[in-house]
This record gives sequence, structure tokens and C-alpha cells, in this order.
Amino acid sequence: MSSAAPDASAQTLPAANLRRARPKPAGGADVSSGGPDDWLWRWVTFSPALLMMLLLSVLPLVNLFLTSFYNVTWTGGQPTWTPVGVDNYNELVHDELLRAGLFNTLVFAIFAVGGQMLFGFVLALLCCRVTRGRILYRTIFILPILVPGIVVGAIWKLLLNFDFGLVNQLIGLIGFEPMNWLGAKATALASVIFVDVWHWTPFCFLLFLAGLESLPQDVYEAGKIDGATIWQELRYITLPMMLPTIMVTFAFRLVTAFKVFDEVYLLTGGGPGTSTEVLSFTLYQRFFRQDRTGYGASMSMFIIFLVCILLVMALSARKRVSAPA
Amino acid sequence: MRESSITGRVTRSGISRRRVLAGAGAAAIGALGNVRFAAAAKVAPITIVINQSPWFESFRKTVELYEKETGNKVELDVNPFAGSLEKQRNSVRAAKGQYDLLIMNGGWFAEMYFGGFVEAISDIDPSFKLDPDVYTLGDTVFFDPVKKVMTPQGKLMSVPIGPLIPLLYYRGDLYKEAGLKAPETFAELEANARKLHKPPGRYGIVQRGARGPATVSFDFYPYLYGNGGGIFKNQAAADYTVTLNNEAGRTALEYYLRLAKEVGHPQTASLDQADVIQNMLTGKAAHISAVIAAWSPMDDPDKSAVVDKVEFAPTPHAAGLTTASGLGHWLGGIARNIPDDRKRGAVEFLRWFQTKDAQIASAKLGGIPVNAAAYRDPISQERKFRWMKPLADSLPHAVNVYQFPEASEVIAILELGLNQAVAGNTAAAPALNSMADQIHGVMAKYGYATGKLPPL
Amino acid sequence: MRDDSKLTLQAVVLHAILIAAAVIVVVPVLWVMTAAFRTQISLLTGAFWFTPVLKSFYDLLFTKTSEFLVNYRNSLVVGIASTAICLVTATLAAWSLHRMAWPKWVIHIFLGWAMVFHMFPSLALASAWYTMMRPVGLDNTLTGVVLAHAVLNLPMALWLMGVFVRDVPVELEEAARIDGATTPTLLWRIVLPIIAPGLAATGILTFVFSWNEFAVALTLTSKQTATVPVAIAKFAQEYEILYTQMAAAAALSILPALVLLIIGQRYIVAGLTQGAVK
Repeated sequence: MSSAAPDASAQTLPAANLRRARPKPAGGADVSSGGPDDWLWRWVTFSPALLMMLLLSVLPLVNLFLTSFYNVTWTGGQPTWTPVGVDNYNELVHDELLRAGLFNTLVFAIFAVGGQMLFGFVLALLCCRVTRGRILYRTIFILPILVPGIVVGAIWKLLLNFDFGLVNQLIGLIGFEPMNWLGAKATALASVIFVDVWHWTPFCFLLFLAGLESLPQDVYEAGKIDGATIWQELRYITLPMMLPTIMVTFAFRLVTAFKVFDEVYLLTGGGPGTSTEVLSFTLYQRFFRQDRTGYGASMSMFIIFLVCILLVMALSARKRVSAPA
Repeated sequence: MRESSITGRVTRSGISRRRVLAGAGAAAIGALGNVRFAAAAKVAPITIVINQSPWFESFRKTVELYEKETGNKVELDVNPFAGSLEKQRNSVRAAKGQYDLLIMNGGWFAEMYFGGFVEAISDIDPSFKLDPDVYTLGDTVFFDPVKKVMTPQGKLMSVPIGPLIPLLYYRGDLYKEAGLKAPETFAELEANARKLHKPPGRYGIVQRGARGPATVSFDFYPYLYGNGGGIFKNQAAADYTVTLNNEAGRTALEYYLRLAKEVGHPQTASLDQADVIQNMLTGKAAHISAVIAAWSPMDDPDKSAVVDKVEFAPTPHAAGLTTASGLGHWLGGIARNIPDDRKRGAVEFLRWFQTKDAQIASAKLGGIPVNAAAYRDPISQERKFRWMKPLADSLPHAVNVYQFPEASEVIAILELGLNQAVAGNTAAAPALNSMADQIHGVMAKYGYATGKLPPL
Repeated sequence: MRDDSKLTLQAVVLHAILIAAAVIVVVPVLWVMTAAFRTQISLLTGAFWFTPVLKSFYDLLFTKTSEFLVNYRNSLVVGIASTAICLVTATLAAWSLHRMAWPKWVIHIFLGWAMVFHMFPSLALASAWYTMMRPVGLDNTLTGVVLAHAVLNLPMALWLMGVFVRDVPVELEEAARIDGATTPTLLWRIVLPIIAPGLAATGILTFVFSWNEFAVALTLTSKQTATVPVAIAKFAQEYEILYTQMAAAAALSILPALVLLIIGQRYIVAGLTQGAVK
């Protein structure tokens, strides 16, 4: 089989290009069709997903988009929709909480997602190289994601408690002063990020593990014959081949990081002050607690737009990185 | 006695028989079933939506008692507190409601009234009268849909289910040791807190300072209103002039901040209600101000290190004024979008629930009664129910802080502003001015009659 | 790739790092598990030693109002059903999109839309679905939640399976076609074994996400259909968090996912692909 290192830069995000840049088979496109029953199977395999998405995702999204141009009030048990044009979007600019939330969310996204990807990858890499205790290590490293979000928030709140928390007790043993992890401006956001990394690294770990274990071994054998060191192996074989998995994991972690809610709600409630106010929490307050349906819809649209921009930026950055290779 | 209703005499004889049975024991009531209580009309089964809480168990047992006594069926849909509002909203906004009796929190009942989601009890059954001994809790059970205010001239919209207000919890054992008496004024509280302040093992007083859905602001209301201050000039007359930054407000906030700084917990700015209660349970606090519903874990050896040591008192006040706790209560309202027979069923439940006998039974089961007669009952003399007298003293003076649906925006402003003041980022006067300014902005945005005071 | 067969310095360092990481990861989880056996006061005061009590489990499972076992069963049904639907649908669709000559714009728009859909805040989705499902009587049914969870996890499953499906060498599929394989045979005999690790990983994640999902489950269920996260959330009350009962519920809650994880791990192993490729 082909042993040329596949040019994984062909795998981009979103699926802009199907082709692997390998020697192409005679058929041309990267497809395996060619039989007479193909049109049937094309539709049979695709339509369940299509149907589900059409029925359950289009309507809510369109509804949210339209709602952002209205104000909804209720009297006598009935709603009144008042069109307000782009007023809701204008108000976003002046929302104090939103500005704080934007900054915090970006910081959170970068460090939390970065941390999870890094640790997840390193741990997956290390786990692939051991035989003793493999199942144990893997199970342990995946454990945090099995714990429900509410429990993660509640338990870490106790662990980080100033008076009685385990963390302060432990650092007390080494001789440090107890720190107000969740209540001091300097450490609050970092603590929330830490809890998130603890909670979500298993997601990255699991996917990278599956990715690494799926890599064709013959490429590595060829590399060893050529005398590649560990770092060279990593840089020229593993990372390029893992790029699709890395990109998709990154994309989903980024999107989910923008939705982070449980941890902030339980650990700090957005405080102290606004130091842990994140976008999804502001959205929760405006959309649900304060019941501002139209304004909340516009905020949702804004957040979605923002994440799209970030993803596109990440995509083009990735293209630039892998292009010279 | 049950309020005289159309079913007059038959009702009374049923009750006297019930008194005898109550004396013989609750089991006897159950055994007799529903045969004797023909007076309570047989109605359609209803669904009550309520949240899980320390007082839920007692409510559930009270409902069971209702079912036994009347033979009417009640279904309880219990939800987590986080999400109760969404569930109730979804139900009342649908074409056909899922829930019949809504147990509404002080935080959202205004939204339900204003939105027309709750039907006035007097519209469903004009003969229904609120038992005169039931606390009206800042008149929040009434609503005038035209003038949009909550005064007794309005319609009766709901019946109180849980009269939850904060009380002062203090360490009776420490008081005895130091020869102190329960504080009535703010000055006394401060003096006592100083005497008992022995950090880091024990703090004079532990307050809430965290920013949350209704956290630091709730701790602050007794200080604000107890000093004669207030957020709005006169809600009952729909005058929403912002008075937060008057002299009384300044006195209150400066006092609050002084307590936190000098006799309080060093991390007050990050403490929420659960933390405050935790401090009391673990013996680290000499005083706290906490909702009365937290009385039960105090004497539970599995949860508390200060069993039998905690005493209760109304929250203190300025000399010459009265105690003024803020209401965080629960009201039972009937949804509009349900069939008529279920509405009547809900009315029947409320009619039973508000009676003295039902409320005393509820108290014995661990609940917090809404009927003053229950507080006059001998059980209020028992050690276990030592919180009843201070609560009964406080309830007539409880303040309903907000009577309009956009309150959550005002609360959000207070939460942020007070939190920053407690954290030491802003001084009292500028904090009050800034909050008053923002609140004024919000009220004006929604078209209420409002105004501002000159800055402090 | 296995480096620890001999007791070299490299092997020792490797294990040292792994053990250190494992400790940081597992201590909080163990702490939650042990909290389930404590009294609340012992937990709040941070006491290290304690005498185990079973009261929390008793309160959770055997009191008159405890619906935890019902919730557990509901979560199992919803988790298994939604994962099955989601995996099958997503894998077929992913394979179809990348290997069945769909025009590029179909692939872009569909996957792009899936990603945008994933960005939606779940609470907003939940109320929208409630409004849609109530008139057809799907609210407060397990079916409604199953469908909702399947759709909720569909974007991630689609994208992930898209990556793993493209790892199957085209030449292999073509060879099978030339040999006269029908599409079902192709999928079952050739594609499935190669995507097994990815399928296992995605399946584990989808199940866990469904099991732990709160916002949608809360909105679309009531008493008889509520799931485990809704039950656990009831312990986070207005003025106190019932830590020990929450811990007991959490301890029981991770069991199915843990079982699934230990089983699923067997498929995340190198070597499955090598035979097929050669």
C-alpha cells in the first residue's frame, strides 16, 4: 500500500476539499461509487441525518434569528411581538456585562481549549507508548468527563473553598497561605479555567487516542528505518497525519468553550465583580432570568457570528501553517 | 375555624370531629379516609409544580394529609430550583398548560401577574375569602391588573405557601457565656459581633457578599429597610422614584461594609447563602442573617456542629424603627391556561391549605406556616420550634421589595454594585449613586414613573 | 510504538509522568465518591478521616419520594437509544457525504449548518423544542428526549465520523467494488472494522453527553420521564447544596458510562487497521 506520507493539508475544515493529495485512482474523485444502485444508496445513507436536521434544527434557528428583530412582551397570557429593527443589536454594544463577558470568554477559550488540547494530546501520546497499565491509565484519564457538569461545579466549589477546601489544606501542608481561589479577582478566572481543563481534557484525550491508534503503522516503521528521532517522528509523521482529528477536536472544543455555563454558574456566578462573567452566562441572565427574548436572541446571534469568525480565522491560520509543508 | 363559606354548618361539624381525631393522632385521620368530609367538594385531580427544597418534604406530607382528608388527588411535579422558572414559563405560555397550581418564587411572581398567566382566585370562585389570619406578605397576594400595583384593593391572585424571610441566627451558647441579650438595634448587633469576633476560628458575623441571582442584595435589604431607606419611593402608588442613595441608604451600606471589614469574614465578597449557612453549621460564625427555611439543618447532627446552640431573632433595625426583612417567599397561583374543573380543584386545595388546622399540621410536619393562628399554637413554645416566635414577630413587617416584572434587571444592578463595594473596589456613596443612576435608567426604559435623587 | 517493554530510563520517566497526571485527574473523582459515604458536616469541615455511613444512598434510593431508580432507567433508555440513532445516522451520512459523489455545495452547507447548529445555546433550543413538541404530544415522553439528544449530538458525530471515515483508504473500497460488493456489504465488511476505534470513541462521547445533558432533559421531561441530571440538580437547592446526596447520585451516575468505557476501550487499539490495509 502507499507509504508516502499523505499530505494532510488537503483535509481542511469545513470539508472544503475531499481529496487526499495522493496518487489518484483512475476514477478521479475520492469516491468509491460506480455501481448501478448508487443513487439509491446515496440517498438512503444520507436522508436520515438530513431529515433529522431539517425537522429539528432549522425551525428553532430561523425562529431565533427572526426574534432578534422584535421585542416580546406578554399580557393576558398572550404574547405581543413589537418589531424593533436593529435596536436589539445596537443595545448589545452598550451592554456592560457583554463587554466584560467578551474579554473573559476569549481568555477562557484560548487558555482552556489550549490547555485541554495540549494535555490531551501529550497524555494520548504517552498512553500509546505503554503496555503496562494501559487500561487503567486510559480509564483514569477519561473519568472526569463522565461526571455530570453540575457535580463538577459543586465539588470543585468545595475543593476550592477558602476555609475547608482540600486544595487549601494541601497547600497548607507545604506551608503556603490559604488562597481565596474563587473569590479573588486575580485567581477566579484561572480557577474556572483550571476546572474546565480538568473536566474536558478527557474529551481531547479520547479523540486523540482513537486517532493515534488508527494511524497506519507502516509509516512509522519506514520512519524508524530512516533513523527518525522522537521529535522528528512527532513533527513530520504524527502531527500531519493527526491534523484532521486535531482540527475537528479543536473546532468542537472552541464552540463548546463559548457555551460553558455550568461551571461558571456554580463556581462563581460571574463574580467577583465581572471577572468570571462569560458570554453564555450573560446570555443566560439577559435571555432567561430577565426574560428579554428579543434582546437575548440578538445576543445569541452575535455569539454564533463571533464563533464562526474565530473558526474561519483558525482555519486560514492552519492553511498557512501547513501550506509550506 | 374554617372561614365561613357557602357550605356553612356541615363544615363546622366536620371540623370539630376532626379536632377530636387530631388529638387522637394523625394515624386516625388517615384511617377514617374521606367518608366524613363530604363538605370538601370532590374535584378534578390537580398537578402542582414546585421545587425541591428543605421545606418540600413538609409540603409533600401536608398534601398527603389533604388527599387523605378530602379524597381529592394531587400530583406533585418537583423540579430543581435552577430551572423551575423556565418550566413554569413554558407551561403557562403554551396553549394548554401542564401545571395547575404554580408555586411561584418571590423572584418571578410579578412576571406571572403582569403577564396575565395567573387567574385571580376571586374570578374562579367569588366566594373564596382569604383566612384573616393568613399573612398577606407585603400584599403580594393581591394585584390590580389595571393600575398594575399590589394593594388589597386589587384582586386576590394567590395564597401564600411559604413565608420565607431572613432572620438573625445567633449562637445562644456564646451569648449565655458572655452574658449578652438578643440584639434589637443595629448598634447592639455590632457590639455583640465585636465581642464574639475571634478570627480565624470564629467571625463576629458572616454576611453574603457574592454576586448572584439574589445574593448580596438580599442580605442587604434588612439593613436598608431597617434604617428607613428603600429602593423606590412608594411602589403601592406606582411611584418608582429611586431613593436608594438617600441618607438612610448611605448609613445602611456603610454599616454593612463596616461589619464585613471589621467583624466579618475576610472573603465576604465571595460568600453566597450556602456558604454563610455553612459557616454557621461548622461553628465559624457567631451571627448570620439567613432565610428561615435553613432552620432545619441547624439541629441535625449529621449536618451541624452546633446542634441546639443556635437561637433566632428578627433582623435588627435602627433605633425607633421596626425590623424589615425582605421577602423571598413562595406563593401559590392558579394557571390561566387550564380547564375550568382543574382551576376549581386548585381553589379547593388552597381553601383547605390556608386553614389553621392544615397550617398547624404542616408545622408539625416541619413546614413554615402561613397562618398566624399556627404561631399562637402551643407548639411554638417547644424548643424545636423556637424560631416561630421571632418569625411571627417579623412577618407583619416584611417588605416586598419589587412589585414589577423587570425587577431582575434592577436586582442584577444591585448585585454587581454591592458586590464591588463589599470587595472594596468602591466606597459606599459612589456605589449607591452609581446603582441609583442605573436603576433609574432601567425604570425609565420601561416607562415607569420614576425620578432621581441628587447624588450623595 | 510501545516503549516500556524494558525497564529503561525512558520507561520509568514515562510512567512517572503518567502516574503524576493520573493522580491529579483521579483525586477529585475519588473525593466525590468518598463524599457519598460521609455525613454532610464531616464534608463541610474538610475532615480527612471519617466513619462511612450509607445514609445518603438510603435517602437517594429508598425514601418515599425517591425517583432516582426511575430516573436512572430513563437515562439508560435515552442514552442508549439516542446514541444508537445518532451513531448510525451520523456514520452513514458522513460516509455518504465523503464517498458517494455528492456535489461540494451539499457537503459544505450540510456540515457547515451542523457546526452552526452546534453553537446554539441549549436553553434556547430547549424552549423552542418544547413549543414544537407539545402540540404533538411529544413533551414529557422519552421519545421526545431521545430525538432531541440524537439531534443535539449529531453535529459532533457527523464531523468526527467524517474524519474517521476518510481514514479508510479509497483503494480498499474500490477494490471491494471491483470484486462486486454491494454498498451494505462494503460498509459492513470493509469500512466498519477500520472505523471501529473512531466509532467507539464517538459512541462513548455521545453516550456521556446524552447521559449528562441537563437543559433539554429538564424542559422536555416531567416526573416520570426525568433523567439523572435533573435528579442531581435537585440537590443544588436555593440555600444549600446537599453535597453528600449529590455525591451518592454522582457515584451511581458514572457507572454505566464507566462500563461502556471499559468495554469500548477494547476497540480503540492499533492493529485493527493494519490487517485490513495489507
